[in-house]
Amino acid sequence: MKVAVCVKHAVDETELKLDQGGRPVLGGAAGKMSTFDKNAVEEALRLKSKHQGEVAVFMVGTADSKKTMKEALAMGADRGVLVSADPAAIDTFRTAEVLAAAIRRSGPYDVVICSEGSSDTYSGQVPPMLGELLGVPYVGYARKIEVSGQSAKIERSLEDSVETVESPLPLAVSVVSEINEPRYPTLIQIMQAGKKPIEELAADAVAPAGGYRQVSVPSMSSQPSTRKHVMIEGTPEEAAAKLVDALVKEGVLK
Amino acid sequence: MKAVWVYSESDAVSNEVASAAVDVAKGAGAEVQVLELGAQRPGVFASGGKLLLKGPPSSPTPGAAAEAIARAARELQPIAILTGATRTGREVASRLAAKLRIGCIAEVSKLGADGESIFGERNVFAGKAVARVSCPFPAAATVKVGAYPRLAGGNGGLQEKDVGAVSDPVKVVAREAKSAGAVDLKSAKVIVSAGRGVKKKEDLAILEELAKEMHGALGCSRPLSADLGWLPEEHHIGLTGVTVKPELYLAVGISGQLQHVAGMKDSKVVASINTDKDAPIFQASDYGVVGDLYQVVPAIRKALAARA
Ligand SMILES: Cc1cc2nc3c(=O)[nH]c(=O)nc-3n(C[C@H](O)[C@H](O)[C@H](O)COP(=O)(O)OP(=O)(O)OC[C@H]3O[C@@H](n4cnc5c(N)ncnc54)[C@H](O)[C@@H]3O)c2cc1C
Repeated sequence: MKVAVCVKHAVDETELKLDQGGRPVLGGAAGKMSTFDKNAVEEALRLKSKHQGEVAVFMVGTADSKKTMKEALAMGADRGVLVSADPAAIDTFRTAEVLAAAIRRSGPYDVVICSEGSSDTYSGQVPPMLGELLGVPYVGYARKIEVSGQSAKIERSLEDSVETVESPLPLAVSVVSEINEPRYPTLIQIMQAGKKPIEELAADAVAPAGGYRQVSVPSMSSQPSTRKHVMIEGTPEEAAAKLVDALVKEGVLK
Repeated sequence: MKAVWVYSESDAVSNEVASAAVDVAKGAGAEVQVLELGAQRPGVFASGGKLLLKGPPSSPTPGAAAEAIARAARELQPIAILTGATRTGREVASRLAAKLRIGCIAEVSKLGADGESIFGERNVFAGKAVARVSCPFPAAATVKVGAYPRLAGGNGGLQEKDVGAVSDPVKVVAREAKSAGAVDLKSAKVIVSAGRGVKKKEDLAILEELAKEMHGALGCSRPLSADLGWLPEEHHIGLTGVTVKPELYLAVGISGQLQHVAGMKDSKVVASINTDKDAPIFQASDYGVVGDLYQVVPAIRKALAARA
């Protein structure tokens, strides 16, 4: 079975600084593998260990995002394809278009896996767009995937229900974090990952841009916190009594 | 006449998105049309008119819904298609955008438009910043759930359009509701919210009692529902869950990561209880108690009982 998994080198939101005007400073911001993408890689590896075959990692990113590609390879993926483009400068459709072209070029794959959304922007658009552009069935928000023969049985986790669906292969899926517990690479795996092949491609070479007008981000800002930050001291009983008093005074507790 | 289309698989969300669409239509000099797929939906309201697409089943898969809407859109050329940012709505909008090769703005509130583009605001970087996003027409958008009031009536005229039969290679074989007794956190005045500081599922009982005594509802952080399964998904507050604005939000054993705070930062008053004096939740709180929830919560219940 050939499995393609897509990962993003996302802005690390915990490290992100704001400038004096409250705007995020994206130049030189620290990055990391998008949190739920680890679940996507893990699921790809589980499919491989059950059905044999290979796992290829696809990523649209800049040179400094190689760290994330190497992490996926250290987890156990076999090879990587890095399409160079700045994810912050292209929108979801263009990202999906470039990924689809890169996947098609080195495919076909039986299963294409993404996570439900990235930890930095969380739009959740690339996976379904990718399914469309590849022209394969698509199943979103999978919390369990079972492949047998040429079809897959998948549990989708929706807001208020769990849906079980069946789909023929090849297919594209997005996974939710509860699908598995991502493994940590061992030191040996991390060292070996350096020897695994990473193919580098230019976005415009795999999919010429054009004929489409992108989403733009005219501005970003943040709101300063206006909370009171009153710390209540004392024994649990004293603190509890003071807290209840304060909340009653605020008029939010009857 | 230029049209802004609205579609959601949920009646309630469709009625919210229809409110958002009014602002877009106004800015762009267009009219709103609310879509119904396969069959009429009496619970779905429209300020302009409705457009019934005949051909798809009445509860289509996201794939079938996107195909039906795309067929109609190629012919009727709406300037924008809005869905709710539910799991299904995100999929429908994204697939539509890919089929039509148009841009899609995600998770937006404060929508508007001018003659050329649609715009809106959204949280980025786990809520650390707000981005203004914009896309030239024709465009798709997913509207943040809970950001708009629900349209409560109005039907306008009904048009019909036959798009032909649509099918999806993905077949639904079973569907199971996640929970009975759904909570409505959005309308709760007080929310007591439980985090990983709660050691076992049974211990949620004391927080449930506290919520009751405060005339409120019980919410939680994402790990309690998504990972541990102690509470149903609709209890979880934050970026990937519900957004709430109660009078009082009491965070108990919640560290206060950005993704959680994104869902409760507009609460009127926030209080929190945490054993770690450096927990980020205190930065997002008006009142903080550094202490063990297993001691502080019973003490609060006693203090409340003493007042009654
Ligand atoms: C893309 C993405 C989206 C996400 N969306 C959401 C979301 O919508 N909502 C959400 O909640 N999370 C979300 N998360 C997860 C989020 O980052 C945090 O992991 C999560 O909120 C942590 O939950 P917690 O505070 O309950 O647990 P922890 O971070 O483990 O915190 C537990 C806290 O309890 C305290 N504690 C321990 N024992 C006690 C005690 N006896 N008494 C009092 N306090 C105690 C600890 O000091 C600690 O601060 C998302 C993550 C990602 C990557």
